Amino acid sequence: MFSNQIINIEALPNVDTATLKPISKTYLKVIILNKLMLCVVVLAILTAAKFFVTKAIVQERFWFIFLLVLGLWLINLIITILAFKKRKYAIREHDVIYAKGLLVNSITTVPISRIQHIEESRSWLARQFGLATLNLYTAGESGSDLNISGLPHDDARQVNDFISAKINANS
Amino acid sequence: MQIADFSQPIRQSAKGIIVIFAFNTFKFFKRFFVLFLAFGLSLMRKKMLFNISALNLLLIVIGILILLLVFAILKYLNFKFHLSKDDFYLSTGIINKDQTIIPKSKIQNVYIKQNFLQQIINVVSLNIETAGDNKSEIEISALDKATALQLKRELFQKTQISENSVQDNVETKRDVFFKVSPKRLILEGISQNHLRSFTIIASFVFGLYYEFKDYIKTYRLKERLDTFIDLSEDTIVNIMLTNLFIVILAILFSLLFSILKTFITNFGLEVVENRKTIEINKGLFNKVSLSLTPSRIQNIVIKTNRVKQYFGLHTMQVKQAMVNVKQRKNFVIIALEKAQVRHLINKLITNYSEDTVPYKPLLFYRRVLALRVLLLAILLNIITFFIFGNGIWWINLVLIPIAALYSYFGYKKAFYKIDDNFITIGSGVIETTLNILEIHKIQSVSLKQNIFQKRKQIASLEIATASKSVKIPYIALKQAKYIYNFLLFKVESQDRDWM
Repeated sequence: MFSNQIINIEALPNVDTATLKPISKTYLKVIILNKLMLCVVVLAILTAAKFFVTKAIVQERFWFIFLLVLGLWLINLIITILAFKKRKYAIREHDVIYAKGLLVNSITTVPISRIQHIEESRSWLARQFGLATLNLYTAGESGSDLNISGLPHDDARQVNDFISAKINANS
Repeated sequence: MQIADFSQPIRQSAKGIIVIFAFNTFKFFKRFFVLFLAFGLSLMRKKMLFNISALNLLLIVIGILILLLVFAILKYLNFKFHLSKDDFYLSTGIINKDQTIIPKSKIQNVYIKQNFLQQIINVVSLNIETAGDNKSEIEISALDKATALQLKRELFQKTQISENSVQDNVETKRDVFFKVSPKRLILEGISQNHLRSFTIIASFVFGLYYEFKDYIKTYRLKERLDTFIDLSEDTIVNIMLTNLFIVILAILFSLLFSILKTFITNFGLEVVENRKTIEINKGLFNKVSLSLTPSRIQNIVIKTNRVKQYFGLHTMQVKQAMVNVKQRKNFVIIALEKAQVRHLINKLITNYSEDTVPYKPLLFYRRVLALRVLLLAILLNIITFFIFGNGIWWINLVLIPIAALYSYFGYKKAFYKIDDNFITIGSGVIETTLNILEIHKIQSVSLKQNIFQKRKQIASLEIATASKSVKIPYIALKQAKYIYNFLLFKVESQDRDWM
């Protein structure tokens, strides 16, 4: 039947009291290695362009463009490293919380009952460090899917098992 | 009415050959449209192409058409479907035979559509949609209307009930709730956002120009145009007049385009109330018939603007989960009166009340809005300075009032209401938009803070359902966290499904 009792605001489960756990520190290495690879590829293409493209603008402004790319990459890298500390997650009884972002900080919560399926993916680099990424898919817009990268493989597997069991129990 | 028997494998109506043939031909020519045009134009000039004469080319085209026809006939002959007690069977394929089986319980939507050609030969197409990816959609392209309706009924009917009782039920419950009048359609067309029509036309003209750039060059259109402008360059007044003329022409074209577009897509719009569902029928060349199932609705969006409000016109968009992308834009009912909107909301979601106390975003939000347009204005200033030089500063006389109005209305129209079961969010600047969603349909909640918001203890909330994500902008952090906790508690504590 329809009921409408007053809910005690203070008694509600609070996101603030949930202790968020930082992701594995080794994942920072993966990020930096990935960024380095990207930087090397872009700079290599630029250098190749210097030898093969004879247009004046490429020749005269080469060092300017080179340093611009390098500078942008450095700023990006610094922000990523600083933002790394903000990547935290928590698994509660009924939901999964993931926080991230330095310039724009976001805390997203997905109720477990809304998760359609869960997937564990490991890139080659992540495998070398024993890490894994958890992808939680909801039926929502693509924006409401959660990807938690940089979990130690064992943790990821435990979380995966826990959530899978919950999903299966629900349906 | 003759009752078709679906228990044996049957083909669609023989007119299906025409539909398949026309569709494939259209697709074929559309794909190679540019190629054909290029061939045609160079043929006109040289009379020859790769040593092929015009006659041979014509023969090739006829050959292709015959091939397409044979293909259509074969496709028709190999397209068979039938129904069992619980499943729908479909076998297709000329060389590779495919057999598709869909359990009736997995069918999400059944649409009946009728395009221009189908209207002429008096058949309808029936689309069956299942949950999951777009490939799983099935289209039967030619059925006569009675058969299609019967098939639709039987697809939705889980247990076998005797034929007569079903028919009686359907006919007595059919209750046309709303039928649009041509006058309201035209009013709706006039009050559209003409800027959008203008951009569509402009991009179309530009695209056309781009495609035929070479030909225009060869025909020296530019030089002819230049001489035309030269003639009128006598006085400043003449230039002003031409400019004014062009602007008026653009406005007129946009207006006409808006009206035509509204008229064609929404011609004969009617909303029919069934016992459980609501049915929308509309379209001039492309007739569609859709049904809305309340349990699948995720968001309801109601839009109006100043002009429309004056005429009493409201647009209602219903966002459902698991709907094909192409069909999504059709779940729109236009030209509704306010009372009708209210009635439909009550039909689609139960217990919705409008009297909840509205809250507003913090005043800081207005400043942020003003800052956003100001940044845009500065950018515009820089661009115009580089293009036109120093004499163009007067545009700020226009820009600044616009910026002020933008932030004023953007803030004035923003509000949010939250009660036990619903979230209502108002927004918009030129348009007034109202977003309604049921709390138990929420998929995820997200609290966002940029560095400026963090310093001021302000946050924005993003609430996603299966079809749309809405935002409550710039509210106090404490309030945001309270709402965040409350929504999660609501979703997780009640065992209600989102679909």
